[in-house]
Amino acid sequence: MMKKLTLLLGICLVVSSAQPQRVIDVAKKGEGKIAINLGSYRAWNDATSRTFMSVLKADLNRSGYFKVTASGGQISVAGTFKTENSMQADVQVYNVATRARLLGKTYKGAGNSASTLAHKVADEILYAVTGKKGMASGKIALVGNRTGSKELYVCDMDGNNLKQVTSDRSIVVGPCWAPDGKAVTYTSYKRGYPNVFMTGRSKPLSDLGGLNASGTISPDGRSMAVILSKNGNPELYIKNLRTGLLTRMTRTRNGNEASPCWSPDGNHIAYVSDTSGRPQIYIIARNGGRPVRLTSSGTENVSPDWGKNGLIAFCSRIGGRYRIAIANPTAKSMRVLETEWADYEDPSWAPDGRHIVCSRTTKHRSSIYLLDTLKDSPVALISGSGDWFSPACSP
Amino acid sequence: MKNSVFKAIMFLLMAGSLAIVGGCKKARPSADLYGSDNLYGDPLMGDIPLIDPVGLPAEGNRELFSPVYFAYDSSQVNLEEADKCEKVAQYLKRGKGNGVIVEGHADERGSREYNLALGERRALAVRDYLISLGVDPATIQTKSYGEEMPADMGHDEAAWRKNRRSVFAIY
Repeated sequence: MMKKLTLLLGICLVVSSAQPQRVIDVAKKGEGKIAINLGSYRAWNDATSRTFMSVLKADLNRSGYFKVTASGGQISVAGTFKTENSMQADVQVYNVATRARLLGKTYKGAGNSASTLAHKVADEILYAVTGKKGMASGKIALVGNRTGSKELYVCDMDGNNLKQVTSDRSIVVGPCWAPDGKAVTYTSYKRGYPNVFMTGRSKPLSDLGGLNASGTISPDGRSMAVILSKNGNPELYIKNLRTGLLTRMTRTRNGNEASPCWSPDGNHIAYVSDTSGRPQIYIIARNGGRPVRLTSSGTENVSPDWGKNGLIAFCSRIGGRYRIAIANPTAKSMRVLETEWADYEDPSWAPDGRHIVCSRTTKHRSSIYLLDTLKDSPVALISGSGDWFSPACSP
Repeated sequence: MKNSVFKAIMFLLMAGSLAIVGGCKKARPSADLYGSDNLYGDPLMGDIPLIDPVGLPAEGNRELFSPVYFAYDSSQVNLEEADKCEKVAQYLKRGKGNGVIVEGHADERGSREYNLALGERRALAVRDYLISLGVDPATIQTKSYGEEMPADMGHDEAAWRKNRRSVFAIY
C-alpha cells in the first residue's frame, strides 16, 4: 500500500517538475490573464488570411491564459501572414515591458489548412510565453448519431473541421486515442458482436466470445487494457499486442469492470468496478495485485481519465446529477467542478492538462463542452444536428 | 401467492442443481449462488467460458419469447422473470432451435461503457440460468448492447423499466 502511494507520488513529482519557469507567471487560479496584442501582426484581407487571424485569436482566448486585446498588452505579436503559393506565417513575440523577444519563427502550411497553421502558431505562442503545452493543435474523437447510426467522428479542439470516420451503420462506443495520437480504438458492432477495433485496421484488436469493450492502448503502445467476458463475467484484462497473450487483472464474480485508463507512466490502470454495490473507481498496478479504491463519495463514480498531469478526471453522480470531478491519487483528494444544472459526463483531459472536454446533457440532448479546471465558464464546442457524446482528446 | 412460493422453491432447487453442476470443479460456498443473501452484486457461475462467435449467427428471431426484465443496476434474474427463461430452455432442449443469442440491455442512466458491462452481465445471468436448466452452453451466445438500443425511447421510469432487459434472439 505504502509502496503504491510512493509510486503514485513519483508520477506527480515528475510531471510537475517537467514544467520550466518562463517569463510570465500565470496565477494558479487562472486569474489575471495575460493581455496579448496582435495589432502589429500583418495579414491580407483574403478569406484564408481572415480565417488564420480569427482562429489564432480564438485559440489564444480559449487557451485560458491569454486575453487578446486591441490596445496595450503585456505581450505583443508581430510578423506577417502570406498566402501567395503556400501559407507562411512569420511570428515574433515580444514581452512589451522588457522588450525581450520570446519567439521568432516561420511556420509553413499547405494551401487549405489556415486553421491548422493557426492552431500550431497559437500553441507555440503559449509555450513561448508561459512554458505550458497548449491544446489548440489537439483533436477530439467522438460519437455522433446524426446519420441515424452511431458513427465515429474526429474534429479539432475548437469543434471545427468535423469529419466522419466510420460509415458502418452500426454502433460505435467509447473511442480512445492510441498514445501516438495517430489512431483511435473503439468498440463497434459492425461484425454483429461488440468487438474492439482500431482506425486504419480492418481486423479487430479483440473479437472473443461475449463482450470486447473499452480497449485502451498503454502509453508504450505495447499493451491494451480491455474488458472481456469470455470467461463468463466482464473482467479487466491486459492484452500484449505483439504476442496476443492475455493477462487477467480482476476476478470479481460479484461485479462488473469497465472503462480502464492508464496512468501516464503506464504502471497503473484506473477502472470502474461495482463490487462494492455501486460503480466506483479503483486503481490496480499493471503487474497485478490488490486494487485500491480511489473514490468513496457520490452514489456512483465512473469514466476515469488519467491525465498526463497526474490527475484523474471522472464523472460523479452527486445530488441526482452527473458532474465532473478531479481526483489526485497521491493526495487522495478530490474536487468537483462548478457547473450549472445539467449532466456533465465522459470527461477527457485536453492536451494542455488544464481543460477537460466532456458531454453535456440537458433536456435529453447531448452536446460536447469544454471545461476549464481553473476558472473560465464552460464553452460549447459541438451542439445540434443530433446528439454528440463520448469525446476523447488526442494526447 | 402460492404460485410464487412454488417458484421460490423451484428456484432454490435450480440453484442447488447449479451448485452440483459447478461443484464438479471445486466446492463453492453457498454465497456464490443465486438466491443467496449476498448483499452486493449478483454472482454468476462465472467459469463456463463463452464460445468464439466466429461463424455463428449474430442475429436471431426476437419475437418468439418475452424479454427478461431487471431491477435498476441489477443483473439478478428475479423469480417473476424466471419462467421466461424456463420456456426458452424447454424450447431449445426440444431441439426446436439451433441456439439463442441473449442480448443484454441497460437503461440510459450511467456511463455508456459501464452499461455495456452491465448489459453483458444481464445476458450472462440469463445464460447461467439456461445452463442450470440443462441447455448446452455451446448453443448460447451473449451480446451486450448496453444503453445503445432502448426498447422505449422515453426518459422516465416506465421507459427505463422496459429497457433493463435481456432479449432472446433464437436462431
